[in-house]
Formats: sequence, C-alpha cells, structure tokens
Amino acid sequence: MIVRDVICPFCACLCDDLDVHVEDGRVTGVDNACDLGSHKFMTDHRMKGPVRRTASGWEEIPLEEAIRETAELLEAAERPLLYGWSGTCGEAQSAGVHLAELVGGVIDATTSVCHGPSILAIQEVGHPGCTLGQVKNRADVVVYWGCNPQHAHPRHLSRYTTYADGFFVRNAFKERKVIVADIRGTDSTNLADEFIRLQPGGDYAVLGALRAIVRGKGDVVPPEVAGVSREQLYRIADLCKTAKYGAFFFGMGLTQTAGKYKNIRNAIELVDELSRHTKWTLTPMRGHFNVYGFNEVCTWMTGYPYAVDFARGMAFYNPGETTAVDILARKECDMCLVVASDPAAHFPAEAVEHLASIPVVQLDPFPNLTTAFARIQIPVAVSGIDADGTAYRMDGVPLRLHRVLDRGYPDDAGILLEITRRITGGGSR
Amino acid sequence: MRVILTAGPRKNPFIPVEAETIVPARFLQGVDGITVAAGNRILPLTDVFLVEVEGTAADPSGVEVVLRGDNSRLKRIGEYMEAGKIRVEGNIGMHCGNFMKGGEIEILGGADGWLGREMRGGRILCHGNASHYCGSGYRGEKHGMRGGYLEVRGNAGDFAAEYLAGGEVVIRGDCGDMPGVEMKGGTLTIHGSCTRPCGNMTGGTCTVLGSARGMLPTFRRTGTVVHEPGGVILTRFEGDVANRGKGTLLAREWQYTL
Repeated sequence: MIVRDVICPFCACLCDDLDVHVEDGRVTGVDNACDLGSHKFMTDHRMKGPVRRTASGWEEIPLEEAIRETAELLEAAERPLLYGWSGTCGEAQSAGVHLAELVGGVIDATTSVCHGPSILAIQEVGHPGCTLGQVKNRADVVVYWGCNPQHAHPRHLSRYTTYADGFFVRNAFKERKVIVADIRGTDSTNLADEFIRLQPGGDYAVLGALRAIVRGKGDVVPPEVAGVSREQLYRIADLCKTAKYGAFFFGMGLTQTAGKYKNIRNAIELVDELSRHTKWTLTPMRGHFNVYGFNEVCTWMTGYPYAVDFARGMAFYNPGETTAVDILARKECDMCLVVASDPAAHFPAEAVEHLASIPVVQLDPFPNLTTAFARIQIPVAVSGIDADGTAYRMDGVPLRLHRVLDRGYPDDAGILLEITRRITGGGSR
Repeated sequence: MRVILTAGPRKNPFIPVEAETIVPARFLQGVDGITVAAGNRILPLTDVFLVEVEGTAADPSGVEVVLRGDNSRLKRIGEYMEAGKIRVEGNIGMHCGNFMKGGEIEILGGADGWLGREMRGGRILCHGNASHYCGSGYRGEKHGMRGGYLEVRGNAGDFAAEYLAGGEVVIRGDCGDMPGVEMKGGTLTIHGSCTRPCGNMTGGTCTVLGSARGMLPTFRRTGTVVHEPGGVILTRFEGDVANRGKGTLLAREWQYTL
C-alpha cells in the first residue's frame, strides 16, 4: 500500500509531499523524502514495552505499573523537571504543560538549547516573519546565516529557495541571489553568490556594521569587521537594499555563539532597517519537526514559550534560571521526566552528571543515550508515523500529521493524561 | 532592631528557596507567618533559618537583617525593599534586591545572577563577584536599573547593566561580554576590562578604565577626555550609530579584535 501526501516528522520543514510504502505493518520505502526523513520512517529497532532498571539490569514491566511509578515519582518530587517535547505533537505538549502545573514542576523544551535566544530577541524587538510560501513565490534575495541547510534541512532549498521556482521568481536558480554567512566553507556556502566568511563570534559586529551601512553611516565602519572587508559589506548591503523581496534565515551558528540573543536582535533590526528600503522578512531555521509547536502550545497555555517554572503555582519564565541545562547543572531538580528528546546526548557534561543522580523517566520509542540514565522507559508511538497529531512548521503554520500505520503503541498524550489522572485521582484538583 | 537569620541544614540544599518575604519592613510585624518557598513546597521561615531577633524598631529604617550560613540558593531577598538594611555574610542567590527602592544591601561574598534587577533606588554593595545580568532588566523589559547605586568590588558576568536607564553601576573588577548593552541612561563604570561594551546603546555614559576588546565597529570616535582622578586619557566614542544612539563610551585601551 502507498500512503500519499504524508507529512514528514523529522525537521521543521514538515515536507508534506511524501509517498510512504507500507507492507505488513512496516514501512518498506519512502519517496520524495530526504535521507534524514526516510531514515526516520525506515528505522525499525523500537523497544517492545516499558522497562525498569534493577540492580542487575533491565526488567520488563506492565504499562500500568510504569505509569503508577512515574506518577509517584512526580508527586514526591519537590522540583521536578519535565523536559523534551520537540519530537511529539501538540496534544502531548498540552498534556505536558497541564502535568507540569499540577506537580509544581519546571517544563522546558529543546528550544532552550537551540532557538531559545531567537525567542528572547523576538520578545525584545518583534518578529518580522512570513510563511515559507511567500519566500518561495517572492524572494529574490535569500540569506542563510550560521546554518547549513544542505545538511540540516536538505529540502529547504528545493522546496522554498534556490531550486524552487515561484510565481514571481520564474527561474529560481538564476534569479535568486543567495548570501551565506558562516565561519567555514560548507555545502551550503558552495551555492552562495556571496559567502560572508566571518571569524567565530563576529556575527554581532558584522550585523551591526551592515545596519550602519544601510542607514548611511558606513563611514564609521573600520576597513575590516571580524574578518569581513568593508567592500564586501557595502556590496551585501547594496544587494539587500535593491532586492524586491528578501528572506533572512538563520540557524544555531547565530543563536548559540557569543552574544546569543543579541545576535538575533541585531539580525531582526537589520531586517527592520532594510524594510525601510524594500520588503524583508526573517525566519529561524527550527530543527525538530515540532519544536515550534511547543513554543506555540506553551505560549497559549502559560503566556511564555518555554522554560516555565510552576513551583509557586503560577507560571514564571526566566531563561538562564528556569532552563533545563541550568537547572540540571545547578543540581536543582530531584526528578526528571524526559519526553521525545535525548538530553544525555546533547547537554553539557555537568548537566548530564546530575541526571545520573536523580530518578529519570523517559517516554521515547527508541533506546537512546538518555536510556542509560533512565530508571523507567516507556516506548510510545512515533508522532506522524504511528500516531496522529498537530505540528507547527518553522514558519508557524500548523499542520495535521496522520498516522501511516498502527503498531499498537500508546501515544505520548495518552500516557501523560493517564499519569495526570493517577495524580488527581481521576478528578480535577 | 537586628534580625539574624542563620541558614540551617536542608535535606536537599540545591533546591532553590524563594524568599521575597525577607525585607526589613516585614520583620516589624514579628517572625510569625513569614513563609518561604523551597521548590514547590511552602515552608515557615523558621524551618529554613534559625531566627534571632535583637531589640525593637519603630520603622523599617531601623531594621537590619543579617543572613548567615549558606544562602547561595536563596532568591529574591530585598525585593521591593524601601528602607532598612540587609547584610549577607557570605554568598547570595539570584534576584537579590529586585525592584529595590531604598535602603541598603551589603553582600560580603558573591552574588548570583540578576543582582539589583530593575533597581529604582537605594544602595547595593557586593564585595565578591556578581554573576550575569547584574543591574539589568527582566527578559523583554525595556528598562533595566533606573536609579540607585550598585557597586561590585569583584568581577561581573555577561550583560552587566543591560538596558541601564538610570542610576550608577560601578564594577571594580572586570566585566564579561556585552556590559551596558542596550543602555539608554545612567552611568556604568568598569575599572577592569570587558568585551564588546555598549552594543546598541542609545544614551548614558559607560567608562572602561581597563581595555575594551571586541570594540564594536559602529561607534564614532570623537576625541579624548582626561579622566579624574589619575589623569588617565580615555578615547571618547559616540554611538551606537547602528541605532541612532547618542550614548557616550570612554575607554582607556580598545581594539576591534576580541
């Protein structure tokens, strides 16, 4: 059987044109997806059922018991941390926020280690955004700053920019100018009409210099800014000002280098400045397929996009204080529920060290590095493959993911609601 | 009146304690009924501290609160305080002196992040180092510290005096990255060195008496000034021109490279 127009639950491009071949309850082939996406569909080493760590190894336990013990651990904790959320659908994220409020915990998503700084900057100066369809049909100048879409979002260029012909951009490959800023050459910089090769940590200075040049104050700019010549900066400023429509995309090369959210703020203010001359927009290259969704869900539920602390009964938000890495590194939390993420693979050593000393429960279809720290792991259905759900694309467009097969696993939302029901005793508290 | 709070042993000393109730004025009504929050539990103050009260006071300005023991996880003390004194004999946790309007806080050790956040008045003296965002604003807040005097005898972390809008911040040691970023008023004096000062500043004066590395390319050099006392010659900059800024940045030594 071939299931058509499937949405890919890998990255936040959420490509919606996949054909998935299903036979005997297994995916046997995927058409149109990139390597990353098809690998996710084809991976077939899921865990069978819930497991619990014992002194001598792992034991299989019934789902009911795994849920009961997780509920008990959450209730006993004085500062539980509920982390992950970017690899599951909005329905589970919503159940997670309710659960965090119920147990007085801190809920944080992988946002805090990827595009969290982008949101901090957006809270300071706003978000001149657009949908990806606008970019595809209108943009004649595209900037990729501190990201490598050829490897991280392989179909971004073919669906929305360099190789995607649009209504007003009839021959995209010829008509679209691409500017790529990075500290080193990559497969994406190879495609660039202008490659801004800057020194590590030089983003803020280069963006500031571009702002000054666009404002007509280029005389203050020194001959070289973080390894980039003033001549090139003038050339880029001209290219950007004369664009019919410009789109600025950026990745972790901008959000996670020195200055963090101030880099993004400078990029947004450059886009604002350029919009005095022509039309420019800015879009973060979000990673996981529904990491944007967590920010949406958490914002409409709590008023804040991530890193929300419910310890005092109301929502408190302060990245740097209520973010998962900081809470773990300061050894604050005494229990951790990990949902649809793998912090042990991505967090700094001191944060992971603390994970080893507290009870950890993980909801994930696959064994991963965090499994090594987990007391209990409950395998769940994969959103978009064997579970339905809503996900938000990197431009904030919500899309409904449909399952392509049923493998009999419970979904994240169902388990989280069951944990909640255990804690409240069935009623509301 | 002197209130001495000695932190006792806790089962899990890493769980933060939020204590916005520890302000001098609150102790005029006695110790009973004062609570703090440890993680998601509300506890009486006396569960966390050994409390000793000496003498009496007629108003908040006559109250001195002394904190002893390990208070490095104690947050939000002196929040909205208007008068009196708090003396911390050791380190203090985050958000010490949030929105403080008057009175004095003296910290003999170091302070964690957001020391004197959005302070309006009064004095804070920190003898040790202060962590990130000292004298700054809350996330997304357009104004950081608006008034008062904040002095750090040691070093300060990144983003010191972010959004500074008034008052005076003095760092005797070094600052981390981006001190005075977005500042729009007030004065910031850094006796040591720092990187990338005053990005996007629109007003106020920042003086760097050490060296400023990673100097931003969007500041216009407008001569030199002599800094007293000592007769040190400082280069004068105006900016940030990327932001139509009219701030003043004075630096003894500066370089564009980091």
